[in-house]
Amino acid sequence: MRRPRHNNRIPNLGGRRALVLHREHANVSALLRQLVAIGLDAQEAWPALPYDAEQADFLFFDVDMACNEQFPWQPGEAPMPLIALIGSEAPGRVEWAMSHRADAHLVKPIGSAGIYSTLLIALQKFEERKAVASEINDLRQQVAERGAIVRAVLKLMEQGLNEHEAFSALRSLAMDERVTLEEAAHGLIQGGARQRRLG
Amino acid sequence: MKRIVEIGILFSRSGDYQLLSNASRDGVIAAIEAVNANPARSIRLVAHERDPQGSIEKYGGLCAELLRDEKVTHIFGCTTSWSRKEVIPVMERHDGLLWYACPYEGFEANDHVVYTHACPNQHIVPMLAYVMPRFGSNAFLLGSNYVWGWEVNRVARDLIGDVGGHILGERYLPIGDTDVGRLIDEIRVARPSFVLNNLIGQSSYAFLKAYAELGRTEPAFASNRCPVVSCNLTEPELPAIGIAGEGHLSAGPYFADPLADGVAMPSSFPAAAYAAVLMLADAVEAAGSDNPAILRQMLDTLEYDTPLGRVRIDRQTQHTSLPVKIGRIENGAFRTVWHSQSLQAPDPYLSRSESRLFQGRPQLKVV
Repeated sequence: MRRPRHNNRIPNLGGRRALVLHREHANVSALLRQLVAIGLDAQEAWPALPYDAEQADFLFFDVDMACNEQFPWQPGEAPMPLIALIGSEAPGRVEWAMSHRADAHLVKPIGSAGIYSTLLIALQKFEERKAVASEINDLRQQVAERGAIVRAVLKLMEQGLNEHEAFSALRSLAMDERVTLEEAAHGLIQGGARQRRLG
Repeated sequence: MKRIVEIGILFSRSGDYQLLSNASRDGVIAAIEAVNANPARSIRLVAHERDPQGSIEKYGGLCAELLRDEKVTHIFGCTTSWSRKEVIPVMERHDGLLWYACPYEGFEANDHVVYTHACPNQHIVPMLAYVMPRFGSNAFLLGSNYVWGWEVNRVARDLIGDVGGHILGERYLPIGDTDVGRLIDEIRVARPSFVLNNLIGQSSYAFLKAYAELGRTEPAFASNRCPVVSCNLTEPELPAIGIAGEGHLSAGPYFADPLADGVAMPSSFPAAAYAAVLMLADAVEAAGSDNPAILRQMLDTLEYDTPLGRVRIDRQTQHTSLPVKIGRIENGAFRTVWHSQSLQAPDPYLSRSESRLFQGRPQLKVV
């Protein structure tokens, strides 16, 4: 029997740095022990995160006691995968954890089980989230630039080209200059040398 | 007056893998007798036994009986990963410690388990490091359809890919299936440089016999040109394979050597099980307690003289630093053709770079 081929190789977590934002507790010892067994550098912090927290590869945070002021970033903008450590499931606390867009969670008490898969799932969610945000940003920018393309085509049409020729000219300009269509349009609108070369 | 330490034994005396589980049990029994016969020991071990009879449903309940009713703290037992996963939550609930003495696929480090046999950087990684420079890097992967085969083959895919090798096929048989004709046909067409065999029990024996037949008709598949390599094949299984096993390879921390000094064991399963009992005995004597919380803090401070050699336990993972050996089947026994010059520290999550790439691999020497 065949098994499906696996295209996504399991990432090697060895040497990655994890911070655990939680007051000292048996839960934290168990978590730190397991992170080290998996091969990560693990460090606990409470109440303040270390100055270089933004360089960490993973952040575990206590949903029971932590608050926004402990993070050097806005809720939802953490630069690494976040794992919520949930004790009380009081809706307000879960809501707060969700405002930080936790990529995965562990329910206390924390033992040896579940931590490895939680790291992998959090990493995947975070990377997906990052990729989607970056794609949305690119698309937004493209939409915003559409006006520039319209203005550039109109400008070329004023010089006697029809709509199709004007758009082709703009595209060849972008290819010649090895820039995006939007950048070529901006150059054209700002006039000068490029316009003369087209004429 | 010797201190009494009550321990549990949880091996299947019957069922699919009874050859292996009885081999492990033999090692535990022999070690208990050795500890109790040693006048220098300050402890005496008293064993309570339960037999799950190869039935996965029985492991959890019998484990709880040992911990709750017999009041043991330490259990020697389990052969398959599946049974170990059944037992672990029970060990956690009762704060017990399982001494697990079989090779397994890694990616676990539970603080209620001490692992005394090989994990991947002590079996599949050195096996590939041995076989690829000698035979080539194009592999055909086989496995019985459960976690051992899936995981060892997954690690092999990654490592073989890292050195530019190719996986020419990957096939799984249901446990117990002996219909291997199709596999042989596919291997004949694929022409790999070696076959990684993660089949178990009857499937493995049937495959090796059919493969030997293929080697007789096509010399390209003789064991000296395209070997079958395994990471869990041991001596008790060799009679079932017979002459078909000749020339093929296996990796492990121990092979039976009738000329060895000290306690000679028939295979690595009883050797690692025997070692586990000695480790517990030494640790309890040193700590003056059999409390797991106390033992966990000091298991890594001792060196243990065992049939596996003088070994140590890694504190972070509770896995054992072990010798690594590659054995070649000759005249119905394993002859060690390579061994590590020092103990190989455990890396169950393959998170150290030398376990992933072929850099800094264990120094091996020809015997």
